[in-house]
Amino acid sequence: MAELKIPQTTTTPLICFDEASTTLRISGESYPENSFAFYAPILDWVKQQLQDSGSLIIEFTITYMNSSSTKCMLDLLDIMEEAHAGSAKVSIIWNYDPENPRSFELAEEFCEEVSFPFQIVAFHP
Amino acid sequence: MDLYNLRQQFDESGMMMCFNGPFSHSIIEEIGTALRNYLAAENIAKAAVLDVFAVYIELAQNVRNYIAVREINQGEAAASIITIARWNEGYAISSGNMVLHEDAAPLCNRIKEISAMTPEELKRSYKEQMRRDVSPGALGAGLGLLEIARHSSAPMVCSVRDVDATYSFFSLTAFI
Repeated sequence: MAELKIPQTTTTPLICFDEASTTLRISGESYPENSFAFYAPILDWVKQQLQDSGSLIIEFTITYMNSSSTKCMLDLLDIMEEAHAGSAKVSIIWNYDPENPRSFELAEEFCEEVSFPFQIVAFHP
Repeated sequence: MDLYNLRQQFDESGMMMCFNGPFSHSIIEEIGTALRNYLAAENIAKAAVLDVFAVYIELAQNVRNYIAVREINQGEAAASIITIARWNEGYAISSGNMVLHEDAAPLCNRIKEISAMTPEELKRSYKEQMRRDVSPGALGAGLGLLEIARHSSAPMVCSVRDVDATYSFFSLTAFI
């Protein structure tokens, strides 16, 4: 499987795949100049990964995301939902800081969009 | 130029930060970082800092995307304003930029429409809009105003002023 590692910047999260645990970590904040351009290669990578291995866990630790990034996340969830319908093993873990209720609300709204396991976990940074 | 009067006006209106000029992504990023540092020093809740920041980002990126899509990113017309001011116990975040005459009325109508929505209606519209396909070349997902309304503690206020044969100046304020 192709490696995927994009370092974190002020406006884009760290994107890093750990093959041993088949976990894609997305952590940081997301408000890039052009969210669609930033996420397009990541969506392609996820499609390919699901096609090749049929399993993927995505672990989010996102404190803030702008509105166009939420649209990209929904596209990502849709890809996972489709793979899930085709019997791929997919799940999401969403870590949130209890002092940041917006991150929790965002997770809840994303959770409503999918039927695969979606775990929302409080952590204290 | 003596800027003291301008500064005094800012102080009287509770202005904390202001930028006037052409927006670039790096300017939006830098002002955002400065804004968060400023608010963090005020000892307000983390969630409130993020709400102000979120509204600032949506306003600034909306302006920048509009200017880019309408190709008015050159000369004086590109200059836009963003301000963050104290308002009651919270904050007022405003943006001001040139818009084509024909865009002004639909924009104001959309803001009125969004401002009249209940939180449940906002959530539903947000989800509907999120499900809509983004047209090729679009820089945003059409969610910015809904996102702002969802963070706001009072309805958004907008105003339009005719400037010349092509442009109107459009101002929008959101309250946290």
